[in-house]
Amino acid sequence: MNVGQWSRLSTDAFNVALFAYVAGMLGYFHFLAFGRRPVWRAASLVAILGFLAHVMSVVARGFAAGRVPWGNMYEYSSLLALLVVAGYLIVVERIYKVRNLGGFALAFSVLTMAVAVEFLYVGPGPLVPALNSYWIKIHVVAAISGSSLFALGSIITMLYLLKDRREQRASPPPIMGGSVDLDAAPPHFEAGADEPVGSTAPRRGLLPSAAVLDRMAYRTIAFAFPIWTFAVIAGAIWAENAWGRYWGWDPKETWSFITWVIYAGYLHARATSGWRGRKAAVIALVGFVSLLVTYYVVNLWIAGLHSYAGVP
Amino acid sequence: MRTALVLLLLLAAAAVAGSLVPQAGVSDARIASIFRDHPLRASVYTRLGLFDVYGSWWFTLVYTLLLVSLGACLVPRTRALVRNLRTKPQPARELDAMRHYAETTVDAGPDRALSQARRVLRRRLFRVSTGNGAGPPSLAADKGLAREAGSPLFHWSFFLLLVGIVWGKGTGFTGQAAIVEGQTWTEAHANYDGQLREGRFFDEHHTGVQIHVDSFTASYLIPSGVPKDFVTHAELYDPNGTYVKTVDIRVNHPAEIDGVKFYQFGYGWAPVIDVRENGQLIASGPVVCQQGPPPSGVSPLQLPWDCAVKLPTLRPQVGIQFELWPDSRALYGLLLTGKAMPMIREFAPVMTYRAYVGDLRMDEIQAISKIDTTAMKESKTGVLGAGETADLGRGLSVSFPDLKQYTVLEVKRDRGLWIVLLAAILLLVGLLPALYTSRRKVWVTAEPDGTGSVLRVGGFALQRRSQFEEEFAKLVDELSRGSREKVRTS
Repeated sequence: MNVGQWSRLSTDAFNVALFAYVAGMLGYFHFLAFGRRPVWRAASLVAILGFLAHVMSVVARGFAAGRVPWGNMYEYSSLLALLVVAGYLIVVERIYKVRNLGGFALAFSVLTMAVAVEFLYVGPGPLVPALNSYWIKIHVVAAISGSSLFALGSIITMLYLLKDRREQRASPPPIMGGSVDLDAAPPHFEAGADEPVGSTAPRRGLLPSAAVLDRMAYRTIAFAFPIWTFAVIAGAIWAENAWGRYWGWDPKETWSFITWVIYAGYLHARATSGWRGRKAAVIALVGFVSLLVTYYVVNLWIAGLHSYAGVP
Repeated sequence: MRTALVLLLLLAAAAVAGSLVPQAGVSDARIASIFRDHPLRASVYTRLGLFDVYGSWWFTLVYTLLLVSLGACLVPRTRALVRNLRTKPQPARELDAMRHYAETTVDAGPDRALSQARRVLRRRLFRVSTGNGAGPPSLAADKGLAREAGSPLFHWSFFLLLVGIVWGKGTGFTGQAAIVEGQTWTEAHANYDGQLREGRFFDEHHTGVQIHVDSFTASYLIPSGVPKDFVTHAELYDPNGTYVKTVDIRVNHPAEIDGVKFYQFGYGWAPVIDVRENGQLIASGPVVCQQGPPPSGVSPLQLPWDCAVKLPTLRPQVGIQFELWPDSRALYGLLLTGKAMPMIREFAPVMTYRAYVGDLRMDEIQAISKIDTTAMKESKTGVLGAGETADLGRGLSVSFPDLKQYTVLEVKRDRGLWIVLLAAILLLVGLLPALYTSRRKVWVTAEPDGTGSVLRVGGFALQRRSQFEEEFAKLVDELSRGSREKVRTS
C-alpha cells in the first residue's frame, strides 16, 4: 500500500471508530438509565469494535507518515481518545466490573476526536527536527498514558461528586464523611441493600456508590501519577538533549509541572484529615483543568518550544 | 501535612503566574513591548518580580518553606523507619479480636506447623520473627516496608534534586557561539556571541576546547518549507589543539568534549564581503547576517537577512548596510508579485546595499547587523550579485566573492546533571512502592491438638484493607493445606 492508501485507511477507520463510540455512548447511557443488560452487551460490543477500528486508524496513520503516529496534535488527540477507551474497558469494566460508566468515558473520547478531526487535522508527514528523537517514543507515550488515566480518573471523580451529594441528601451523612483512609472504603452498606459496597452485583441506583467511585478514582489517579512523573522526567531528559537544558520554564514544562503539583496535592489531601472526600475530589478536578490547559491551551495559544501542534 | 499541602497548592498557583506573564529569558520581546506600551504595568510587574517568577523572592520563599516543612516531617519519619527496620515484627495478643482472624487444624505438631508457616510467609515476602516468652509458640510477620521506605526516599529526592540543580547551574555556564563554516572557535569568555551566563560559583576558568566547523547543512521539505534537518559537521580539539573527534551536531544530537556540550541551536547566512580602498584590501571575510522577527503570516524563510560592514578607521567613517537574499528568485518574486517565495537553499544570491558616510557612533551599543544611521548620510545604493564588485565612490569598492553559512551552537557545561538524574531516578524508585505496596501484619500461634495442632492466624492491614480480605483467605488456605478439617473463619 502507498502513503495515500494508508492515509485513506486511517481516516476511514477513524470515522468508523468515532461513529461506533457515539453509538456505544448512547447505548451505555441507555443502560445507565434503564438497566437493560442486552443494551449493555450491544453497547460494549460496539465500543470494542470501535476500539479495534481506532487501533487500525492509529497504526495506518503510522504507516502513512512512516514514523510513530503521535507527532502532532491530531494524532496525539486520537491516541489519547483511544487510551481513554482502553483504560475504561480494562480498568473499569474488567477490573472493577462496573459497567455503567461507559457513556462518560466514550463521551470524552468522542469530544476529543471531534475536536481533533474538526480543528486539528493535518495530513501525515515527517517530524520536525526537534521531535525527531527516540525520546518521542518514551516521553510522548508516557505523557499520553498518564493523561488518559488522569482523564478517566477525573470523569469518575465528577461522578463521585454527583453521587456523593445525592447520597448525603438521601440519608444522614455517614459518620466518616465519605472515604476513610487512603484507599479503603469503610465497612459501609448501602441503604436497603444487603451487599457491601464494591460488590459486583447489579444494584438499583444509577451509579455505583460514592465510596466505590471514590476508590476507583483514587486508584486511577494514583496509577497515572508515577506515569506522569516519568513523562515529565523523560521530557526533561529529552529537553537536555534537544535544547541543552533540562528545565527552562517553557509553557509546556510549567503547565506539566503545575498539573503534577496539583495531583501531588490530591494524593496528599487523601491522607490529610479535613481534606478527604469532596475537597480532595475538587483538587483532582482542578488538576484535570490544568491537564487540559497543558494540552490544548499551551499547544494552541501560548507560544513556546512545544508549539508543534502543526495546526495551520 | 496540612501546611505542606497548602504550600504545594500555593506553589502551583505561583507557577501559574509565571505562565501568564512573559518571563525574562523566554519571551524578552513581549516584555519589551509591555515596557513600551504599558510603562505603569511594567513597573508594577518588575516590582513584584512577575517577569522572573521562578527566580523571584516569593517563589523561592514558597519552595524553601515547602522544603523546610518537608524536612521537618521527614526527619522523624526517617528515624521511625530506621527503628522499624531494626526491630523485628512484634508479637501480639488476642489474635481473635483482630479484624482478620482464622483458626485451622493441621496434621503436624506445633513446632513443625510453625516452621511450615514461616516458610509460607517468607515465600510471600513477609519478615518473620519467632515469638519467645510465655504462651504457645508463635510467629510475628510483617511486610510492605518498601512502602514505608519509598515515601521518605521519594521526598528526600527533592533535596538531592535541589542540590544537583544549584551545584550544576552554580558551577556551570551557558552561552551561544556563532561560527562561520571553515572557522575554528575556542571556548573562552570573550568568544561568546551575546548572552553568556556563568554560574554564581563559576571559577572563571573556561575550558579552552576548540571546535572547527567544516560545514553546515539545513534541509527542508520542498515546497512546504517545513524543516527536516539541521546539521553542523565539525571537528573537536582539546585545549592543546590536539584533534579528538569528528562530529555531526544536529537537533537532539549534541556533541560533548571535556564536559562541554554543543547543541544545534540556529543558523544563518554569512556572505564573504571584501572592501577595497584604491585597490588595497581594507576589510575582508564572512559577515554574520541576522533576521528581524517576521511579520505575522510570513515565514522567516521569506525574509531577507541584514548584514553590516562598519569601517570606523576611515575618515569620515563609512558603514555599508546589506540586505541579503540567499535565493534571488525570492527578491524578484517579491518585486513582481508582491510575495516572496521561501528561500530554502542558495540560488544566485544577491545583496542590496546602502553605503553611509558620517559618524558610526561606535561608542554607543552596536547592533551586529545594523548600522546606526542617525549621524550618517546615505552615499550610494545598489545591487550586488555573487562574484560581482560595486564601486562606492571615494576610491572604495565592495565585492561579494562567496556565500557561506554560520551555525549557532548552544555551548554549555553542567556538572550537576548526574545528580539531577540520580535524584529523578530515586524519586521514581521511591514513588512506586509508596503508592502501590501495602503494609500487612500477620501473627500465627500453634497449640497442640491431638496428634496435630491448631493454628490461630490474625492479620492486620494498614492499606487496601478490602484487598487484604482475599489475601488473608489465601494465606490461611495455604497454611492449612494438608489439614483434615475445613477452615473455620470468623
